Amino acid sequence: MTALGGVARGPAISIAGLVAGALVWQLIGAHTQASSFATFTATCSALWAMTKSGELPRALESSLELFAIGLAFAIVIGFFGGLLLARIRVLRIGLEPYILMLYATPMFALIPLLLSLFGFELRAKVIVVALFGVWPILINTTEGARSVNADLLEVAESYRSNERQLWRHVIIPYTLPYAMTGVRQGIARSLVGMLASEYLLAATGLGNLILTYTNRFDTAHVLAAVLVITLLATILMGIGRGIENYFARWKAGV
Amino acid sequence: MSAVPQEIALPRTFALSPRLERMLIRVATGVVLLVLWELLVRWLAPAFVARPVTVARALPHVLANHVPPGTPTFWGSAEATVIAAFEGLAIGVIAGVLVGLTMGRLRIADRLLRFYVNAFFAMPIIAMVPVMTLWFGFSSSVRLAIVSLGAFLPICLNVYDGTRSLPTNFVEVAQSYRARWWNVWFGIALPASLPYVLAGFRLAVGRVLVGATVAEYIVSLKGLGYYIVYDGRTFHQPDMMVAVLFLALLGVAINAAADLATRRLLPWYRRSG
Repeated sequence: MTALGGVARGPAISIAGLVAGALVWQLIGAHTQASSFATFTATCSALWAMTKSGELPRALESSLELFAIGLAFAIVIGFFGGLLLARIRVLRIGLEPYILMLYATPMFALIPLLLSLFGFELRAKVIVVALFGVWPILINTTEGARSVNADLLEVAESYRSNERQLWRHVIIPYTLPYAMTGVRQGIARSLVGMLASEYLLAATGLGNLILTYTNRFDTAHVLAAVLVITLLATILMGIGRGIENYFARWKAGV
Repeated sequence: MSAVPQEIALPRTFALSPRLERMLIRVATGVVLLVLWELLVRWLAPAFVARPVTVARALPHVLANHVPPGTPTFWGSAEATVIAAFEGLAIGVIAGVLVGLTMGRLRIADRLLRFYVNAFFAMPIIAMVPVMTLWFGFSSSVRLAIVSLGAFLPICLNVYDGTRSLPTNFVEVAQSYRARWWNVWFGIALPASLPYVLAGFRLAVGRVLVGATVAEYIVSLKGLGYYIVYDGRTFHQPDMMVAVLFLALLGVAINAAADLATRRLLPWYRRSG
């Protein structure tokens, strides 16, 4: 097998896998009731219909708005909170077990409590999304900021860096790759938070689409919405990985 | 010296052992957090919102299952959720290891499945819960499917990564000693990727607990997810918080057990950092 053949064969198999998947989907859909599984083509036409009617773009916009605001809060709180924890020893030692506990708690369980405190409108949902996403960012930033190479600090000090310069030129750049690993994980978790809050608090966006069409036994539309979420998640994860690699590029040479 | 982990060197008049000092700081922080929670809720929130005092007061009757007939009991719900979580983890580990190994060792399986595994891994699995109620009915099969998928995906991807990063000379040496494929798969690739299995397992625990509780809520299944939402809606927040704390401890306990297993079973593997 020539090198060229090897290059062409990989994508060919991947595409064959995708086509086979669509065919299996079509076959399952054709041999079950429409109320339990729609065919691939029916799903695609539902997708097209929802896009044309503006229903899908509106839902997507509402979901993405919620996701973006929540994630932004998660990143800001996680990053600065992480730096603070790395800096103040008492705070870190004291809070560490509770942070790990919250990290392990399925955040879904806290939604009813948040509902009673903040209602069920956008504010409460943003808090849910942020709460899902903040922990990996916080933990990774703390770890990163704590592991700053002592040599780097010594060099900076021997060149008379003041506190601000030390943070700006050594600690924060050193911490960013770690924080971005947390951001990548936070993106995935915030996405779960987005759906969970749309299911359990005021039903809006993509979560609302899924719930509404499930209640109408309209699987074509439900599967179309799930497909959109899958695509969205794949794109967001790709962006997350891209950001992580971009900030980690200086580490490659070490 | 202004290193980040800056320790303020105070002249010590008396010395505490570092262990004891850590313990004291942690307990003190816990007390401060509880007091803050108590006071903030008392001042700012409606009366039905749970506070540490009311949660402590609810603890005896919740743990004794003293609830009006027809309402979900704590231990019944906890049992249902814990069993489902472990079933999902068991299925996820077995299937994840098998599929991950296959994808890692067979190029064609990798090419065929990579796209699907990555897409399902990226997707919030709870997006599938409503449509699964149409497939399986409003039954515990939905929860089982969700927790199994939730555990399967991270473990499968991690085993795949582990198998891919297997040093080729391991395989070459084995093959020069006429190892069969199953020797390579289960004798070399699998043990070498055990640390990855454990990393995947930790991710899986979180996904399984979220998946189980969301499924219980949407399908109205007996379990902690339903218990929490039910008590939340009927203004029994202190009862609800007992279940939330139980879930938190459950997550911590399963992860701690996984850590202990790593140290016992894989002493050669040290986590970096």
